[in-house]
Amino acid sequence: MKNYTLPSLILLALSILLFTRCTKDDGSGTVTIQLDHTVAGTALDLEQIKYASAAGHTYSVVNLKYYISEIRLTDKNGFIVSRGNINLYDIQDPSSSRIELTNIPDGDYTQLSFVFGLNEIINVDGGLPNTVDNINMEWPIPGDQGYHYMKFEGRYDSLNTGTLRSYNIHTGATKGNQNYLEISLPINALALRDNDWTINLQMDLNEWLQNPTIFDFVGQEMIMMNQAAQEIIKANGSTVFSIASVEKT
Amino acid sequence: MIIARRTLFLFILLALAACTKNTDGPTDNWTYLPVPYTLDYPDEFPIMSLQQTNPMTVQGVNLGRRLYYDPLLHPQGLHACATCHIQDVAFTSSGEVLPHINLGWNSSFLWNGKIEGSMEDIMLFEVEDFFQSDMTRLEADSLYPRLFYEAFGTRTITSTYTARALAQFFRTMISSNARYDKVFTPGSGEFPTEEEQNGYDIFFTEKGDCFHCHGGILFTDNGFHNNGLDTQPSPLGRSQVTGNPNDLGKFKTPTLRNIALTGPYMHDGRYETLEEVIDFYSEGVKTSPTIDPLMKQAHQGGIHLTAKEKSDLLAFLHTLTDTTFTHNPALSSPF
Repeated sequence: MKNYTLPSLILLALSILLFTRCTKDDGSGTVTIQLDHTVAGTALDLEQIKYASAAGHTYSVVNLKYYISEIRLTDKNGFIVSRGNINLYDIQDPSSSRIELTNIPDGDYTQLSFVFGLNEIINVDGGLPNTVDNINMEWPIPGDQGYHYMKFEGRYDSLNTGTLRSYNIHTGATKGNQNYLEISLPINALALRDNDWTINLQMDLNEWLQNPTIFDFVGQEMIMMNQAAQEIIKANGSTVFSIASVEKT
Repeated sequence: MIIARRTLFLFILLALAACTKNTDGPTDNWTYLPVPYTLDYPDEFPIMSLQQTNPMTVQGVNLGRRLYYDPLLHPQGLHACATCHIQDVAFTSSGEVLPHINLGWNSSFLWNGKIEGSMEDIMLFEVEDFFQSDMTRLEADSLYPRLFYEAFGTRTITSTYTARALAQFFRTMISSNARYDKVFTPGSGEFPTEEEQNGYDIFFTEKGDCFHCHGGILFTDNGFHNNGLDTQPSPLGRSQVTGNPNDLGKFKTPTLRNIALTGPYMHDGRYETLEEVIDFYSEGVKTSPTIDPLMKQAHQGGIHLTAKEKSDLLAFLHTLTDTTFTHNPALSSPF
């Protein structure tokens, strides 16, 4: 002990402190996007014919699958953190509702943006890995390319007459129109400081059927080759998403 | 590749034939030198998932092939897998027998998906529950103890190893060389007939809307659907497994590869011919509370094709017949 001078001991203690701090604090965290689904503000209940569409039909939701890609977080200075992952949500697979964005640098994030669907670079035949899940999303219409962006399927009671019919809102690129959606949502108070956060992102399915244009299932039970219908759904998509909450995890 | 495999197989058979002459000799001269087996399928196919505990080997595949064709798997030796799964008709036979085509890409098996998991899981079910195989019959055989040793390095024959060998062989039962794979692949230099192209357009658009369930390179979505066979949906399908009334009338989507060979059709074999099947989807669909939403025209009985459209669709379906599969010597009986 007598060989050590006080200054060298202080130096040693300081470097240990510094080292400890460096390993503990790498200046980043994970932001998890948790997908949640509602119909007119209430939790989605599959297979139940009980939702009212603006066009006057009672309807159910039976199946829901979609791609979210090109997720970006923007901080208050306009700095953008981009995660190009392609995420396939499948309502039959609860684990697909969590999207983890790792190594997000410390910052005050004020905006969440993403592509609903796939951009034109990815949305070509064979653009995604040949997994069984991706193959099941293929958009094989002759003359078109790529994948379904969304399969939103269910049944409806036509004008409440007791006659059950089916609807398939299948979106994708048709007749040269890409039809994917750019979504940007403001975030309140996501101050990432070497910690993890969760953004609860909500999709209200009823909004696909209204705002600004009422979508009527009748005559539009299938829309893969119907660009006018694709445009209505795309425009209605602007009010489909909202951020329900942002919390430190 | 096929020739190479065939040669290898012949070589092994020869080696085995030489060995059988010495069955009363010591087992010490048995060798466990497994040769890795590489599956051969086009890039467009998904990557087939394999089990780390059961690596594919030439010895394992060949043992599985022998077991597939051997009635010894049956406790009384009455029939083999191949008795009901006949290669000439893409490994099926009459009635409700599902064909053995590209099952290596499946993760749920049988019409109701009762078995979920790996190929090893379904094969274990087949050995232990379906056949109720007696392993002592295999152990008492003059050849199998050596074949199991060469495939797995085991001196004890169990249902697990038997299932693993069968699983390896099943993964090689790949059909990827139909007329479809040539004429609808740009750059192949071969082209569809006008009828086949018309049929393709019906199949792969919402006109016929076949592809949502029977699409992709595997011609199945590996899912379960009520396709509108009955007004009172059958309780014998997926609902039997899940107990969920929303699953009434749902059955596994079979692949349409080799569909012209695999009749009769539907889970109960109710339709003898493909023409009857097309008529059903055109005019015979019945609506019910669990009908799949993809059956958008069920309320009007189906997709209402003209006679010409029906024959075009039929011509397209015939392009899915793969005679290299039904004549593949590597998949034929080794006996």
